[in-house]
Amino acid sequence: MTETILVTGADGYIGSLVCDRLLRDTDAHLLLWVRAQDADEFRAKQDKILQQRAGMLDRISLHHGNLYAEEPFAGVDAGVIDRIIHTAAVTAFNVEAEVADAVNREGTRKMLAFARRCPQLKRFCYVSTAYAAGLASGDILEQPLPAAGPFANHYERSKCEAEAILLSEYGDLPWHIYRVATVIAHNDAGDVTQYNVFHNTMRLLFYGLISTLPGVEETPIYLVTGEFVADAIAELGVKAVAERQIFHVCHRREESLPLGHLVDTCFKVFSTDEGFRKRRVLRPLFTEFEPFEMLANELRGLSGQVVSQAVESIRPFARQLFVTKAFQNDNLRAALSHYRAPDPEQMTLNTVRYLVQTKWGREI
Amino acid sequence: MSDIYLNFPAFRLGALQRSVQQAEQDGVLFSAASALADAGFGRHHHCSEAESAYDLAKGTLDDMLTSYPETRDLLPRTDLILYVNCLPLNGNTGDVRQFDSSRDVKHLMDFPASRLQADFGMDQSYVMGIAQQACTGMLGSIRVANAMLHAESDLQQVLCITADRFPPGAVYEQAYNLISDGGAACIVSREPRGYRFLGAHHITNGAMAAANDEETAGFYFSYSHRMITDLCRKAGITPQDVQWIVPQNTNQKAWRILASVLRFDFDRILMPTIGTAGHCISGDNIINLKTVQEQNRIQPGDKILLPMAGFGLNWSCILLEKVAD
Repeated sequence: MTETILVTGADGYIGSLVCDRLLRDTDAHLLLWVRAQDADEFRAKQDKILQQRAGMLDRISLHHGNLYAEEPFAGVDAGVIDRIIHTAAVTAFNVEAEVADAVNREGTRKMLAFARRCPQLKRFCYVSTAYAAGLASGDILEQPLPAAGPFANHYERSKCEAEAILLSEYGDLPWHIYRVATVIAHNDAGDVTQYNVFHNTMRLLFYGLISTLPGVEETPIYLVTGEFVADAIAELGVKAVAERQIFHVCHRREESLPLGHLVDTCFKVFSTDEGFRKRRVLRPLFTEFEPFEMLANELRGLSGQVVSQAVESIRPFARQLFVTKAFQNDNLRAALSHYRAPDPEQMTLNTVRYLVQTKWGREI
Repeated sequence: MSDIYLNFPAFRLGALQRSVQQAEQDGVLFSAASALADAGFGRHHHCSEAESAYDLAKGTLDDMLTSYPETRDLLPRTDLILYVNCLPLNGNTGDVRQFDSSRDVKHLMDFPASRLQADFGMDQSYVMGIAQQACTGMLGSIRVANAMLHAESDLQQVLCITADRFPPGAVYEQAYNLISDGGAACIVSREPRGYRFLGAHHITNGAMAAANDEETAGFYFSYSHRMITDLCRKAGITPQDVQWIVPQNTNQKAWRILASVLRFDFDRILMPTIGTAGHCISGDNIINLKTVQEQNRIQPGDKILLPMAGFGLNWSCILLEKVAD
């Protein structure tokens, strides 16, 4: 019998990719839930989504709401839902505490409360982040995390707290948690469709606007592609694998690049650009955390804004660049049909080449 | 090769001064006064309408003659005047308005170095100019003086002097630094007094000649770090072997960051005039050197780095060693 899957954040980067795969790989009916303040905003999003999925209109229906509301899912019929994939979140590292609390933590709590009201629910999939582990170092297992932190930012904290709510208050649900690493590119070819702090930092380095970076050269950086993440979530979300498992949707330390190597790889690509070579931009200096914080503080109030804003985007993540984590992904490897880690250097080369060639998407 | 020494640091700042807050009120800053104050800047000096860059040069030598009475005998024995200006317009003491009316280019070639030679009786000297190194010009002149003294055995003493004022109406902030009009000078000679010259290093990145303030600031740390570590390597030492850094007056927090990446104790970075003089174009290192010298903070045997960054983009640094007088 055809299943009905509710996907929240369905117009977000990961949510949208997951929907594409579910439409391609299953015969499920999808309830796409998107954030909208009012009917006008919803109509605009609806038009876009329906246009993108013109051949699948009989398999999708749209709903909207706001995670700040008391009952954000009031318009959704709980009686028909078989599976829920909750991707809706604020994913910016510099999210303010109140917003992170309201959307990522309390929004998830509301989602879980709704899930409990679904009589035929087979699986609740919570899309979390690898950095819910906060500033913990060493082996990070696919196990519950201490909610006490410490954390580098409110994004991490709120995602970890949401996991804790799921485990402590809704542990009886048939849940999965997917902890996703930083998305560097859409695919192995390095195409970029969603820009984040990684790309911002590369832009600053390329144009010589920053010559110091917080961090330790040996810190492993966990990067994945959007396709890898979406494939994993769409597969695990519907596959017959055991419930109540945590999956690290990331690659292992030996499949990732250390920060210094990552920067060297980026500079290798940068140096193929004539303008970059001419500017003779030097490799950045790695600083301790406090001097970087000082730099960020100093830039406030000075006349320039570009560097200040970009440094502010790095700042909430900076502490992570000093922490050596070794993410384990045994559950993921065991559950996926075709787990494959890309060559991290090649993935970085491809991505940075795309960024340079398109001038960070401006010249596509 | 015989040793060369730097001595008699002297300076003169513009006659007028105001607080950074007043500068903001007068509309001569890009950034907020509070941001510049947080960076360590307090007051800055600027010239009156009638005060020229050449007046600053003369005032600088007056300071030298006053501060070091022995220079009254020494200065006339100068063999070479190395005259430095950062802003090209300060390399001419002529009245450009007279060129407009007469079309005679001699009004564009009234060189302050020649006037200085005559006004201070340095009759046996000849003159050279350095005008393409922006704020690093003064350090460049010391390097050239060292090279000239090694190259020409009949030379005994070189006067290195810089003087700049911003034109009327200019904003007194560059690359997030509060600027002062002023001049600075020192004597470089074979006389073993003051500071032994141990080395110099200079980097120019011409592709960034038209860099905006953000790019200038962006390049600052990595190039400053490279310049200092390269100079130390050339001198066979490490930055940790240096006792003092006497830099330009620039954002103190920037130097905290640089100190961190150099593994250098911030307390050994001496810029005592940042609050009173600001960034005095090409003269900061000399102004700070004279000030810490008067405070007796530098002892014989101490190694001192004098780094400077400037437009162009240029980075320059010299390494000195204090000798017993």
